[in-house]
Amino acid sequence: MSNGELMEQFIDRARRIQARVEQVGGVGEVADYIRREACGPVWLAPSPSMERLGISEHLELVRDFGRAGAMDRCCGLTGVNFALADTGTLVLESTSEQMRMATTLPEQHFALLDPRKILEDGLAAVPHLREFHRRAPRNYLAYISGPSRTADIERVLTIGVHGPKELHILLLEGLSDDLYEN
Amino acid sequence: MKKERNQAYKKRITQALATPRLQEALHKFGDAYPLAREAAFEGLDFEALRQEIGHMKDGVRENIDRYLQQFIENAEGAGAKVYVAKTAEDANDYIAKLAVERGVKLAVKSKSMASEETHLNKALEKAGVKALETDLGEWIIQLAGQRPSHMVMPAIHMFKEEVAELFGRVTGQEESPEIEHLVQVAREQLRQGYVDADMGITGANIAVAETGGIALVTNEGNARLASTLPKIHVALVGIEKLVPTLEDAAKVVQILPKNATGQLMTSYVTWIRGAVPCGDEDKELHIVLLDNGRSALAQSPHCKDAMRCIRCGACANVCPVYQTVGGHVFGHIYIGAIGIILTAFFDGLDKAAEIVRACIGCRACVAVCPGNIDLEGIILHLRGVIGEEEGIGLGKSIVFKKVMRNRRLFHGLLRAGALLQKPVTRGERTIRHLPLYFSSLTEWRTLPTIAEKPLRDLIGKHSKKLHKPRYKVAFFGGCANDFIYPETGLSLEKVLNHLNVEVSYPEKQSCCGIPALYSGDRETAVELARQNVEAMLEGSPDYVVTTCPTCTMALSRDFVENLQDNPDWAEKAEHLSSITMDVSAFIVNVLGEQKAFEGLAGGQKVTYHDSCHLKRGAGVWKEPRELIATAGCELKEMNHSDRCCGFGGSYSFTSHPDISRRITGDKLADIQASGADLVAMDCPGCLIMIRGALEKVDSDIGAIHTIDLMAELLEGGVNPA
Repeated sequence: MSNGELMEQFIDRARRIQARVEQVGGVGEVADYIRREACGPVWLAPSPSMERLGISEHLELVRDFGRAGAMDRCCGLTGVNFALADTGTLVLESTSEQMRMATTLPEQHFALLDPRKILEDGLAAVPHLREFHRRAPRNYLAYISGPSRTADIERVLTIGVHGPKELHILLLEGLSDDLYEN
Repeated sequence: MKKERNQAYKKRITQALATPRLQEALHKFGDAYPLAREAAFEGLDFEALRQEIGHMKDGVRENIDRYLQQFIENAEGAGAKVYVAKTAEDANDYIAKLAVERGVKLAVKSKSMASEETHLNKALEKAGVKALETDLGEWIIQLAGQRPSHMVMPAIHMFKEEVAELFGRVTGQEESPEIEHLVQVAREQLRQGYVDADMGITGANIAVAETGGIALVTNEGNARLASTLPKIHVALVGIEKLVPTLEDAAKVVQILPKNATGQLMTSYVTWIRGAVPCGDEDKELHIVLLDNGRSALAQSPHCKDAMRCIRCGACANVCPVYQTVGGHVFGHIYIGAIGIILTAFFDGLDKAAEIVRACIGCRACVAVCPGNIDLEGIILHLRGVIGEEEGIGLGKSIVFKKVMRNRRLFHGLLRAGALLQKPVTRGERTIRHLPLYFSSLTEWRTLPTIAEKPLRDLIGKHSKKLHKPRYKVAFFGGCANDFIYPETGLSLEKVLNHLNVEVSYPEKQSCCGIPALYSGDRETAVELARQNVEAMLEGSPDYVVTTCPTCTMALSRDFVENLQDNPDWAEKAEHLSSITMDVSAFIVNVLGEQKAFEGLAGGQKVTYHDSCHLKRGAGVWKEPRELIATAGCELKEMNHSDRCCGFGGSYSFTSHPDISRRITGDKLADIQASGADLVAMDCPGCLIMIRGALEKVDSDIGAIHTIDLMAELLEGGVNPA
């Protein structure tokens, strides 16, 4: 599949599982979008691509929320290592505890993805998983597909049980073409 | 002991059947699941995928020591502590001791069937450690003091009103029974637990030998929290979760959510390798690898394939028995078909003895199993083992051992039965009411009588002398066609003669042995296999045809299996297997003569019921439809056409008539909703059930064997009812 087709499939699949996907043109639009949608303070997990983008000049950010702080309404903001088209999945190297907490505790998760980093499927991801292992022998890798969900009461699909209730994926070309940075 | 166990089991069945909302909930899911699953697998080759998973898992089983060692080395190399627990007690002791040593007061848990299996919560409680379930379904059943009734959806048997009441007890206020609200209550109530807990306990869906890492496939996000916030993480992992490489793990991740819930992917897949940062230090990661009967399972020649299971729960999702009584009846800790097998190995035969008989044998589970496990075959084997251990009941024992093995005696008794039944048949072909003790058997269906003259006395009388017949076939009638529906055998003779095929009916053929086998009497089944192999091959026929798919399975599958240890017999059985097929498959696939019936029908509305053993045993479902449609009938497909009719042989008479009745009720509703005037099928067992149920409600819809339909069309008419 071409890049364009992969992006198309990714957007379709991600939306089908209640992720919100938006293509944005630059850091200003990213900041505007987040300001408009955010339900509370924005917690930025460590992200080389976002630092390069200079997001902190456009948006007020919290760098370390701590465990107790995250009980309040807040949103996590992260980069993305890469994505999987066939299931609408984001892949985040999450060995940093800040990365894990910023994607599990908040009510909203904003993720910035360069659409050039969309792979076909989980099998295509394996060599990169292996490379993550090589670079960091102890690691925590996360596949995230849509917001947190449950169907445990009467099989009714309900969004947002323990993890984020909203997942916003912002597609920004030129952000990063390195699969090993987020 | 045995009697008490059986009474307790029957009580559970009665309770489940008396809860209509349970069946409603399970049916709703049962209806939605196949559609979601089909959509999820769109564009993928499920057969190829499950072959791959099966082979991969077999490889792990055959080299389990090597992969275990590789996993342990890699996990320890990344800072994990690994403990191999031989038994459930070992696992619990290790975790409880660890918790006490580290001063843990509260442990948060994400869903783990392995911890249900070991009763970890109880062990922790004893050690003074509170275990808090955080998976929504698990928390609900923890509050209710119950056990999961499904592997993936533990609280599927409960209703929102019950959940609201349970949550209200926690919050101390009335909670409204709106699902969205209840989910929010759980979110708020459980949140602080992650921060307060000193230990997080998870299971794992996969353990990767190549990396020493584990993977968790989840939706709610609680496993991510439980494995991130507390400073100690304990993962309790059954050794069957091992896979060699990350590629293999990716394949499991690809198939698991699709088969479990019909999701393309779960919200989260979490790959954890080693002790990762936690606050200012590294996390303390303990991986407890649980054996608890798995090695014994892996070494069992007949049951070892069950080690391929990836715990998706699909075998329950499609099971008509599960849909009727739920997992608290049809399971112990693990539920559904795989639950029966795992219970036998993890908890002992005694715990499995009742549920091993609860399988109706429809093979719906086998068709969707992502590990390509012949679940029904293994359950049958276990039934035999339990039959040998505990006996199969005096009545059945006499019937099978003394009567069935002696063909003359068996057939003589059936002939006598034809005379003895006269007081209740009132000279009709069906019994509408049975007296006294047996009355419940005819409350919801009529029963066919034993025919006045068996097929063996009738066949051949009117056969045409054929000039240079295309083939010589031997017809295996089976008990039902021989003694209940002899007309079906005559129809077969008529149709095949019309197509220039010579039909013989070997006199010495006897019962196919399936009733004995399904009741756990393998010895009788082996004896009958010998008798039948000899009888059917006597005239060196080109093919052996059948009108009963259960007999077909016996001739083509079970005889081979049952005679494999004797080289002389094994070869004959293999040959018989290779030339045996259902008559509709013979007409379409061998003769290619479907056109012979073209236009004989006048647009009758016919719906088709797929018999379990025909579709999932012999792989035949297109052929009869092709015959019916080519003949000019209007095929009106019913919903769930391949769902079991509830017959299951003695299942519907002696072992589980109450469950059968419900399953037949579902089938009847589907037939009536199809808008057809006639329901066709290719199994005399299904015909007993479906015709009986239709007659009992005085339905205008007729029920017919496809070969009878074809014979009637050749005669020039079809009389639906």
